[in-house]
Order: sequence, then C-alpha cells, then structure tokens
Amino acid sequence: MTPGPIATGKKKIAFPRVADYSGVFRYWVEQCLDQTYILQPKCTHHTLEVGARYSPDSVCTPFKTALGSMIEALDLGADTLVMSHGLCRLGYYGELMEQILRDLGYQFEFVNFAAYSTGRSKDLLKGVKQLAPKMKAARFLTHVMDGVKMCAYIDDITSKYYQNCGFDPSGTYRAAFKRFLRAMDMVHSRPEIDEAYREASYAFAQAPLDKPERPLRVGVVGEFFTVMDAFSNLDLEQTLADMGVEVHRWMNVSNRIFHYPGEKNLNVEIRDLCTYEMGPTSTATIWAARKYARRGFDGLIHVKSAGCTPEIDVMPVLQTIGREEKIPILYLTYDVQTGEAGLMTRLEAFYDMLAMRKEVL
Amino acid sequence: MSATVGLPQGMLYHRYGLLWRTFFQELGIETVRSGQTTKEIMDRGAALCVDEACLSAKIFLGHVDALVGRCTYILVPRVSSFGHKRMMCTRFEAMPDIVRNVFRDRGQQFLHYDLDVNQHHDEPDAFLALGTALGCTKKAAKKAYAAAKKEERRRYKERVAAEEALYKKEGMKILIAAHSYVIEDPYLGRPVLDILKGLGAIPIRADLTDREAAVKRSAELSPTIKWEMNREILGGLAAHWDQVDGIVLLSAFPCGPDSMVNEIILHQIRDVPILNLTLDAQSGTAGVETRLESFVDIIHFKEGTL
Repeated sequence: MTPGPIATGKKKIAFPRVADYSGVFRYWVEQCLDQTYILQPKCTHHTLEVGARYSPDSVCTPFKTALGSMIEALDLGADTLVMSHGLCRLGYYGELMEQILRDLGYQFEFVNFAAYSTGRSKDLLKGVKQLAPKMKAARFLTHVMDGVKMCAYIDDITSKYYQNCGFDPSGTYRAAFKRFLRAMDMVHSRPEIDEAYREASYAFAQAPLDKPERPLRVGVVGEFFTVMDAFSNLDLEQTLADMGVEVHRWMNVSNRIFHYPGEKNLNVEIRDLCTYEMGPTSTATIWAARKYARRGFDGLIHVKSAGCTPEIDVMPVLQTIGREEKIPILYLTYDVQTGEAGLMTRLEAFYDMLAMRKEVL
Repeated sequence: MSATVGLPQGMLYHRYGLLWRTFFQELGIETVRSGQTTKEIMDRGAALCVDEACLSAKIFLGHVDALVGRCTYILVPRVSSFGHKRMMCTRFEAMPDIVRNVFRDRGQQFLHYDLDVNQHHDEPDAFLALGTALGCTKKAAKKAYAAAKKEERRRYKERVAAEEALYKKEGMKILIAAHSYVIEDPYLGRPVLDILKGLGAIPIRADLTDREAAVKRSAELSPTIKWEMNREILGGLAAHWDQVDGIVLLSAFPCGPDSMVNEIILHQIRDVPILNLTLDAQSGTAGVETRLESFVDIIHFKEGTL
C-alpha cells in the first residue's frame, strides 16, 4: 500500500492561475494564513478545453480558463477553492463556478469573496477568516505587504523585460527573467524576495543590448486578465519583442490595484474623450492608449477576450484616438479557438506596416 | 425655451420612457421619439456599432442615428448602480461616451444624467441636474420629477396588476425571462409573444413584478447576483416558476449578464421545462417559430394533452 499524503491539518487552497502572480497567492496562503497552497502547472490548451466544455457558450473566455484551472487544482488535491469579487462579470464568476463544479460532483470548500463583499473592505476579512480561523493579525499584515511588494517587483521586471528582450543577442534577459519568475513561485521570506529582484535587475543591467536609437515602440492596452496573462494572449508580448519591438504595457496588478492613480485623476486627462467611468478598466485603457499615442509610439494593440463588455465599449473611444492622433491600432479578440498561426499573420502584417510607416515618416 | 429633446426608443427607453416623457412634458419641453425599431434602424445601428457588441446596443445606436439632426439634444443617460450588488451591465455605464464617440463628427448635442447610487448620485439628484442643465429652475425640476415619478409608479403598478392577473387564467402559461428592452422591442421580443399567443399559450413576463420585492427574492435562486435587471427577473421567476407550465429565457445575442445568469437558472430550476432562446440579427422569425412550436409541443406531451 502506498502511503498517503501526510496529514497536516491544513487546508489545501487553490486559486485560478493569473499571469505570473500565482507565486504571490501561494506566498499569501502559506505565509499569511499558514495553510497549504496548491499551485497548478501552467495553463495549457487542455486547461482551456476542459474549462470550455463545462462553461456556458457565450461567457467571456477568462471564465473558461479559470474554470479549467480550478478543475486542474481539484485534480491535484485542492480541497478549498477561492474566488475573488470583481466589478464586471468577474463578480459573478464564483457563484457560477461553484454551481458547475458541484454539479460535476466535486467535493470542496468554496470561499467566494463576492459573497463577503458588501461595499466595506472590512467585511472581506470575514472571508479571510474563513480560510484561516486562527490567523494572527500582525503576521497577516506584514506578509500581505510582502506580497504587494512581490507584485511590484514582478511588474517592474516584466515591464523592463518586454521593453528590452527583443534587442538582447546574448539571451541574458530571457534567462534572468525565467530565473526570476521561478524564484517568485518559491520564495518564503522578504529577504528571498528582495534577493531575487536584485539578481534579476543586476542581470538586466549587465546585459549588452543591441538596440537602435529609435526602435519600433508598441503600446499594449486592454482587458485586465487577457492583456497580462501570456497563456491567454498567446504570448503576444514575447512574439512582438522577438520581432524587434519595444513593448510597453501599463496595465498590471500594481498599477491597476495597489498604486492606482484613481479614476478621477486619470479621467481628468481624457475628459475630451469620455465624460464618465465606462467600466472597471476602461478609464485606464483609454488613458494609457492616449498617453502612448502622444509620446510618439508607432502603434497600439488592444487586447481583450471574446465577449468582454467593458473593453468592447472602449473601442469607439480608441477609434477616435486612432483618428485624431494618427496612430495605427490593432484590435485582438481572444477566443477559445484563436490559433497561433492566425495571430502570427496579423502581427507580422501589423509589424510590416509600422516599420514601413516609420521609414516614410 | 424652444429646445427639443430626442428620446431614442431602445434599451433604457423601455424602462424609463414614461418617466422621461412626463418629466419633459411637465417642464414644457418638447420631445421627439425615434419611432419603433425597424429593419432599417437595426441595419444602420449595426453599421455604426462595434461588431461584438450586443444586438440591443446596435439597435440603440440605430435609434440615436434616426434622431440626429431632428432635435436640439438627444438624451443618453448613464445608469450604473442602484446600490451595492444592484449594478447595471457596464454597457449602460458606457453608453453616453460610446454615443459621443460614435457620433463625434455629426455636430449633434447630447444630454446626460448620471444615476450611480454607489457614487452618491441618486435619481432625484440626477433629474434635478438634468432639469437645471436645460435652463429650468431647481423648483420646477423637482416638481416635474415628483410628478413624473408618481405617474411612473401609478402606471407600473397597473401593468404589474394586469400581469399578475394572467396567472389566474386557465391554459398553458409560459413565463418569459427577458430584459424589458428585449421583450418590448417590436423587432426582437414582441414576435415571440405573438407566436406564443398564436400557439394558444399565455405568455407572462417575469420582469413585470414588484421590483423591490423581486430584488430581495432573487437571492433564493442566486445569492451573489449583482445586476439589478437580472435580479428583478430572477425575483419574478422565484415567485412564480411553480405556477407556470414552462419558462423561456430570452436574450439578445450576446448578453453578458444573461450568459451567466441563464446558466444558473438552468442549474437551479429543474422541474419546469426551460427553453433558452437567443435572438440574433437574422431577419425573419421562422427559426424562432420552429423552436417555440416544439417547446409548446414538449409541454403538451409532458402534460399528456398533445
């Protein structure tokens, strides 16, 4: 008889994989809550296929990816699933997900932060308490801040990486970035977090770059999840960088959540384009798109999943920006069936157009 | 004051039309309506709108287009929330700015009001701002809003009473779960009602119900649901699903909230036949007719009356 897993009395908690932030969730669960985290392997086509099989047809694609990711976590032995609240359909993901998984016959505890969200952030702590009844406030707070710092480091390194890795003949960037992300999935303490960041920053600074004086610069804007998640956007940023493009993306967890300048502060700069808040990330998308255009970028790419209502609604505003600032915009919608070959063709054509345009201008 | 206000007859018009008309009438401001949805309006809207947006949004833009140049202002309000977990689909939040950008070069002026209770803009405030923006005094605007709201309440009560009376009728009763702008649109939902009546069934609308009570009751079917209009529909379903012979879930393609809420309904209500019907831009109702016919047949078969 094979020995079973050692009983630790700890919950085995899982959350869907989100871009490169899974290490942060793991850190929070293990350090703040003193429970076990089940880290799924990276999403594959299989994840999406399984998720799509049990999802309603016209729900947005991140739901399908997240559901597939949850099923993979359950298969790996997770017994407690966590889902966040949110401002768009995301706020309803939890309930539908739980319903579907229960009807499939899975047994698990489900902590849905949408059920605890009452408009006061204090009430969200009740959800945290359910995950770890014996949690200590002091330990919780310090480690939450560590996680916030991790996000800041991840976002900083990621943004430096995609701006430069296309001009790095030695491959130092790629190796350092890979090492850094792996470290973020495994760190246990603040010194380790800082060390990984220092190491990556140092490697980046040392790498000899072969960058033209005025490289092609493309700004990537769009829906919160798909724009950050390399699996969901078919590695868009890497593909662009490999063509020799400096890729910029403002949207990430630090900028949108922990250090968000605020709806009103962003809106004030785009007043002539939109009067109101149009959706959870709309103001940021419009603001970033216009900022890139005015800073002389060569093109913009708007990324969203199929059916993302807020980002569909932003498109007329982006079209205005494209016309008024004379900047080409490529609109990409990612569905379950979006294939790499089709995307590649469109990206190559977009790149050629930008390159020719730059020569002429 | 010779300003005229255009009211596009799509989306929120079906919820607030009476309130708007009475409000402007009380203020002595003339209103122009875009008329009933026609194929032309829909095609025009589809050409103006982003492809992936929902059919109702396309129809709405068609209505706005029909009003451009025919009035001083066109009313496109922003309706975002009525309280916590009482949100509207984000499209209603974005509509004023969508319209502003789509019709940017057409020289048309638009009129907005902002209804967002979570950000402390409630309906009386919104209408006060709307009235004063049109050059009326605060007093007149308040009075006009009070009168309009009273009229809206009275009329809505009548409609709910008429709808509730249908449950007492003899015959095959089919509950329709649909947004008001889908079911009342002569191009989308109205034909469905007509077909069902033609098949000898009694269609009853789930959303025509006491709104406050329905919003509370929606938790029976879905505890964390966050969309006001879907909560009203769910509340109606929760109150009445055991009094009917079948349920039709009617949505315009592709509806964000409905894509998830309908799935929850299908998981929660198991004992009544449910038809999940999505309407798209295809012209002609033959496809819808076939599906409704077979649905009615299934109910007859189940009840042994075929």
